[in-house]
Amino acid sequence: MNVLLRLMPYFQQHAWAFWTGISGLLVARIFEAMIPLYVKEGIDAIAAGQAEIGAGTSSWEVAVQALSAPALAIVACVLAQMVVTIISRILIRRIGMTAAFDLRNRVYGHLQRQGPVFFNRYTIGDLMARSINDISLIRQFIAGTTRMTMVLIFTATVGLIFMFNLSVPLTLAILVPMPIVTLAAWHYSKKIYAQSYQVQEGFSELSTFVQENLNGIRTVQAMAQEEREVERFDVVNGRFLEYNMQLFNTTSLLGALMPVLAASGTLVIVAYGTTLVNSGEMTLGTLAAFFSYLALLLWPVREAGSLVTQWQRGASGTARVFEILDYEPEIRDLGQPDHPQLTGKVTVRNLSFQYENKDRNALDDISFSVDPGETIAIIGRVGSGKSTLLRLFVRLLDPSSGELLLDDHPIKDYPLAYLREQVCLVLQDPFLFADSLGDNIAYDDPERHENEILESADAAALGETITEFPTGLATILGERGVTLSGGQKQRATLARGLIRKTPLLILDDCFSAVDTETEEHILSGLKRVRRNLTTMLVSHRVSTARHADRIIVLDEGRIQEMGTHAELLALGGFYADLEAVQKLGGRGQDVSEVEVS
Amino acid sequence: MNTQSAAMPDAEEQPARKLDHSIFEADIHGQALNLQYLGRILQWVRPHRRLAALSIGLVLVASLLAVLLPVVITRVVIDGIIMKQPEALLPDFGMNEANAWLASVLGLSDLASACVLYGGLTIFCHLLYHLHRVSFARTMLTALRDLRHDLFKHMEGRPASFYDKVAVGRVMTRITNDIQALFELLQGLGQLLGEFVPFFLALAIMFAIDVELTLYLLCAVPIFAVITMFFRRATRRVYRMIRNTVSLLNQNLQENLSGMQVVQLSNRESRNLSVYRGINETNRQQEMHAIHMETGYGAFMDNMVNMALAVILWIGGGSALQETISLGSVILFTQFVDMLIRPIRVLGMQYNVLFRAMASAERIFQALDWAEHVHEPEHPVTLPERLEGRLEFRNLTFGYDVDEPVLHDVSLMIEPGEKLAVVGPTGSGKSTLIRLLGRFYDFADDTVFLDGVDLNSVPSSEVRRRIGVVMQDFHIFSGTILDNISLGNPAVSREQAIEAARSVAADQFIERLPQGYDTPLVERGQNLSQGQRQLLAFARVLAADPEILILDEATASIDTETEQIIQSALRRIMAGRTSILIAHRLQTIQEADRVLVLKHGRVKELGTHEELMDLKGVYYTLNQLQFQEVGLDPGEAES
Repeated sequence: MNVLLRLMPYFQQHAWAFWTGISGLLVARIFEAMIPLYVKEGIDAIAAGQAEIGAGTSSWEVAVQALSAPALAIVACVLAQMVVTIISRILIRRIGMTAAFDLRNRVYGHLQRQGPVFFNRYTIGDLMARSINDISLIRQFIAGTTRMTMVLIFTATVGLIFMFNLSVPLTLAILVPMPIVTLAAWHYSKKIYAQSYQVQEGFSELSTFVQENLNGIRTVQAMAQEEREVERFDVVNGRFLEYNMQLFNTTSLLGALMPVLAASGTLVIVAYGTTLVNSGEMTLGTLAAFFSYLALLLWPVREAGSLVTQWQRGASGTARVFEILDYEPEIRDLGQPDHPQLTGKVTVRNLSFQYENKDRNALDDISFSVDPGETIAIIGRVGSGKSTLLRLFVRLLDPSSGELLLDDHPIKDYPLAYLREQVCLVLQDPFLFADSLGDNIAYDDPERHENEILESADAAALGETITEFPTGLATILGERGVTLSGGQKQRATLARGLIRKTPLLILDDCFSAVDTETEEHILSGLKRVRRNLTTMLVSHRVSTARHADRIIVLDEGRIQEMGTHAELLALGGFYADLEAVQKLGGRGQDVSEVEVS
Repeated sequence: MNTQSAAMPDAEEQPARKLDHSIFEADIHGQALNLQYLGRILQWVRPHRRLAALSIGLVLVASLLAVLLPVVITRVVIDGIIMKQPEALLPDFGMNEANAWLASVLGLSDLASACVLYGGLTIFCHLLYHLHRVSFARTMLTALRDLRHDLFKHMEGRPASFYDKVAVGRVMTRITNDIQALFELLQGLGQLLGEFVPFFLALAIMFAIDVELTLYLLCAVPIFAVITMFFRRATRRVYRMIRNTVSLLNQNLQENLSGMQVVQLSNRESRNLSVYRGINETNRQQEMHAIHMETGYGAFMDNMVNMALAVILWIGGGSALQETISLGSVILFTQFVDMLIRPIRVLGMQYNVLFRAMASAERIFQALDWAEHVHEPEHPVTLPERLEGRLEFRNLTFGYDVDEPVLHDVSLMIEPGEKLAVVGPTGSGKSTLIRLLGRFYDFADDTVFLDGVDLNSVPSSEVRRRIGVVMQDFHIFSGTILDNISLGNPAVSREQAIEAARSVAADQFIERLPQGYDTPLVERGQNLSQGQRQLLAFARVLAADPEILILDEATASIDTETEQIIQSALRRIMAGRTSILIAHRLQTIQEADRVLVLKHGRVKELGTHEELMDLKGVYYTLNQLQFQEVGLDPGEAES
């Protein structure tokens, strides 16, 4: 519950609106509570009028005149209450919306500053839920729960004051059954909360099942598993039904119990009130007014329980949102501004890196340097630390120990935005946005000229693909557009990296899904576009690595071999073995993708 | 499709109408109450009609009691006991007599028995309401469970050609969210039932007591109805805008999160934030509109009940003074006002639900009516216990679209136990060939034969049992490793599954897992490496023990060590089985008995590796390219 204090700034920011809204709610309650008083006056006037007419002291026209005052007063109260309610509700609901608006922007901005550790810990689905559902919960809490709490407190207080004013003994008598009502409401609300949670779980279980099944529908059908899957579905589906029924049963029971308990209040008014009226201690109008006040009083009592769960939901939503907002980005941006363009000189000294919860270093005491304009290939087994090493150059990760210098300055001296402007990493896993192909290539700067885009696309051997599309660069990709093949995706992401002409370009196994011929094409394009610029690339293929000025062989996080293609072949180590295997066995070579004329 | 003539060209056998799958992508906005849909939904309620009838009976009785409760207070207590005029010439629906009878039976005063009467009626009434609600919910939930079952089952049977074109998410929301929206609709109908029955009963009683006053109050009903309609129409556009902006926000966030590293590496953070902020701002403006309208409407409806009190007091009071109605009746009217207003409010609240549900119903029935399927034989042929495993293609021509054949006139005989490697450039029809063998698509009769039997005369489930397919994107189900090997096939015992895993050397990594074969796997097997997943897929197919094996070799690069394990597992599962594999690795190709070279959907070359090399054709060129590829620069290779 303490976490709700974190929302205080939003109330403080709109303190005037908030307090005006709250006072408005109080005023509205007072107007509301006045209505039964005028109803009472009207009824008493009717009773008195009947008596007077019966006694012949008055005509009915005169008596009816007496009704006009309370009737008009009711109209006035209703209108006043309505206006005040509208104003105060709007004021408070606007605060809720503004807070949600602001939190969404804050969360979005904050998420963009997080690194891989964070995204390993939180799945996308989880983050989506927090940014959408939990922020809605906060909005509901501010706009609904706080307002409702005040309304209920005011209603009960104002109602009680008016009731005591009318008749102290009758009010006290009505209060007797109230604790039972409160307890019952409390008990059931808790149960309802737990059961609705169960229903939600049941629903997400159902969704997960269907999603998983449909994703694997080809396997299901290939293995002739449809019937078994339907049977398994029936279990989940049936369970969801039962969860729903349980919840329904409880809400319905509460819905039945409440009017029954409320009837106890009515009975008190009937039994005790009638005696008071008969003995002349109370008028009939007062009795009627008590019926109205009872309804007014029961409302907060009934809602108290669900209010508790609303507070809980608000608190859990707030906690989940602030957990994200409190998460310190693992990469700290402390760089000083004003650096000249980098030359592409890289120095790595005794560099080690260890992942959280791993007992072995992913990179162990790595040292090497790269001269401006050099092309370096990194080769090694899966898990040898290649991708980890590359990520250090763009500070997706920070080294555990050792030094990483760019142009002789520690990498942390550069502001993050500047660093990533100067160093470009093309990831192994090609990711494209559901946008046009051109916008995807010019992703870093949408204002780039079309010629630039086409030039880099050509260098990435994507030019032909583009001309094949009727709409060219404007072709929309993704679910609602064109789906590219794995190789096309890789070439598009490569073009996205090449277009930037950064002093340092790093390619993480970007040719795995393109055929060897296309790869040749790309490598020559690379030489053209990256003339005099530093390039580092990871590959599995000797045929790719041999084009580099120097080759680094990584194994188990250590540099095993380093040198030119010829030097490493002469060394007769890992690299030479690999070359032999790939040359003789042809393993890892793709023949299927090769276009033959 | 399944005509007798094999010679007939494909185009004439295909249905003339092309299926338009894009309707699954289209946004549907419910337009109005569609009685046809409602009628169809009720078909699923029909099996539970007794429970539904009981539920409706209960609400009728309960509503009657609910309407009588205020009568007890006003006519019995106020008129009878306080004002002492029970005999006033106004209906009391026998309540005074009932009370008098109860008083004499129980030996209580009139007042005490009125309390008992009121308490008893209240308890009974709400008990009936409770039973009504529960039985109603049970009816509807059961009906929807059945509908969901039918829909799921229907979607399970849609062929690959359907899932090629329709995104999984689109189908999924129909099974989950859309049916949920129908529940809201049915629940809303139940609620309306519970409101309208008392509405009409209260109206009847009010008319019986004072026609004039009732008519005055009734004037409010059309006014409210018009205001509600007006409000709904005014907010509809705003709500649609809100829905659209919210889904834009979600899409933007989802995409940004999925491509976060690219965003960060491209320095796009601030630009993306400002785009998001823009959508968020539009959303806020629309939400603010909605807040203003909703608050005005809500407060108006809340307060109008009280406004009616003034009317009752003014007009009813006048009548009471003229002695045409009793004072108790005036108070009774004040108690009934709520019953008159509530149905309209509930109707207003259900309005959005109704539109959403109609759109959902449309989506559900759209899917349920989608009859696309793989044709099953009318007179299925029973295959022998164990097949020899001879496969024959005879002049097979096939296209996903009628006018664009992917395979042209493919004829080929594969002998029992033979291993055939299929190679060819992308788009040559390799994948299509193996998809047809799994009977995932319809093709002409008498073009593919299994041990001499036309494949189209064998039920597809039987075909799939005999022909095992290992695809590149093999799917891991959530469940244990063992479940994933046996896939619930009762014919596969635990021992057999473990034996299958051992045969493909998958046991090495499985036994290292904390719970061994009982280790639960998450969806898509993300806790396994690619190589491990592949071994698991091999174990699965080995456990199923099909007579013919179709395999699409994974293209992704795997490290050399794992590669070796996979190669030997491959050898193990192909042993003694007719196997067709789409090969990407030279080593695999060289180990096959024959190689089929496909190009542009036609058989280009067919023979052993050596024969094809001697042919110096397409296959030879493919190989030359490969060999040229490594170490072609003699200058560098020498040193």
